[in-house]
Amino acid sequence: MNDTVTIRTRKFMTNRLLQRKQMVIDVLYPWKAAVPKTEIWEKLEKMYTTTPDVIFMFGFRTHFDGGKTTGFGIIYDFLDYAKKTEPKHRPARHGFCEKKKMSKK
Amino acid sequence: MAAPGVLESDFSSAVTLLKNLQEQVMAVTAHVQALTKRVQAGAYPTEKGLSFLEVKDQLLLMYLMDLSHLILNKASGGSLQGHAAVLRLVEIRTVLEKLRPLDQKLKYQIDKLVKTAVTGSLSENDPLRFKPHPSNMMSKLSSDEEEEGEAEDGQSEASGKKSTKSKKYVPPRLVPVHYDETEAEREKKRLERAKRRALSSSVIRELKEQYSDAPEEIRDARHPHVTRQSQEDQHRINYEESMMVRLSVSKREKGRRKRAHVMSSQLHSLTHFSDISALTGGAAHLDEDQNPIKKRKKILKKGRKKKGFRRRR
Repeated sequence: MNDTVTIRTRKFMTNRLLQRKQMVIDVLYPWKAAVPKTEIWEKLEKMYTTTPDVIFMFGFRTHFDGGKTTGFGIIYDFLDYAKKTEPKHRPARHGFCEKKKMSKK
Repeated sequence: MAAPGVLESDFSSAVTLLKNLQEQVMAVTAHVQALTKRVQAGAYPTEKGLSFLEVKDQLLLMYLMDLSHLILNKASGGSLQGHAAVLRLVEIRTVLEKLRPLDQKLKYQIDKLVKTAVTGSLSENDPLRFKPHPSNMMSKLSSDEEEEGEAEDGQSEASGKKSTKSKKYVPPRLVPVHYDETEAEREKKRLERAKRRALSSSVIRELKEQYSDAPEEIRDARHPHVTRQSQEDQHRINYEESMMVRLSVSKREKGRRKRAHVMSSQLHSLTHFSDISALTGGAAHLDEDQNPIKKRKKILKKGRKKKGFRRRR
């Protein structure tokens, strides 16, 4: 029984129109608790040798009975493109753009 | 020697027959002489024809020659026993019979050639007419519209519109139809659906297998328990991964998924038989897990207060 967490990327596509690379991320961690997103982030950074600023991840869903989580990942070429293309809440998670609080009235 | 009575009765029929024979022989000789004259004049050239047919021609001619030789012999009183012509006839006959199946196979082609030679063009049902004609696929409109456009300026707009009209796809306008389905029709539809479901239930299927003579089918399927729900799930997963979005799951969908999962995991199908009251005519029997017929609840909209009781200040 191995204790390592495996990260596999599937359906990798280079999206030239939006200047980014997008993929489906499969995280396998049998017999363990769910892996926090920061760990996945660091692993992706190591795999694709980029700065962690341009890596965005979202949509993680754990399969029934645990052990496997599937999500989406996007890696931009440059941070400017990231700021232009990504919807505001994702860079906000990394601390780039500040979301404006909408007033209730 | 035969009796003179028999001879007399035969005499008249023999005379008529001989007369007939004579007439026919004269007609045939005239015909044959005309034919030979035409052949000798070269009216029927056969160099470019089918050699198979030429062989048949020659064989038939040889057969005729031998036959006429034998008739001559017999008519002048000789016997046919052991005559060389008989052997030759037999040989030619066998060859002709061997040629007959070949003839059958070539029949279609020969008929077509003859028809084409006679009428001068292919018939309507000829499959050769259906070959592709690439020249028909090229648009002949482009050359026309260029000429029109260059000709006059005033008409250029009209011609432009004409060309767009010919190129632009206009979708068909669908006419909305009035909906008037009565309660009775809805009831009938519900019953139909229940019947269909009952027909494919396990009870009926097992009865069918028991009483039918057809052999038992064992299918080597990929997934033994493939259900509609699992297929839908697979479809959803494929969509999500290709579009890189997460779709929201409605309450109904959640309920369906839960039900499917619970049923498949509890071996529910083994111990519970499905409802076939639609076929037997009884009232619907409901299992604990199935939903009873839903009553329409009045959903109170947000922010709307109930009428009736007004607080009096």
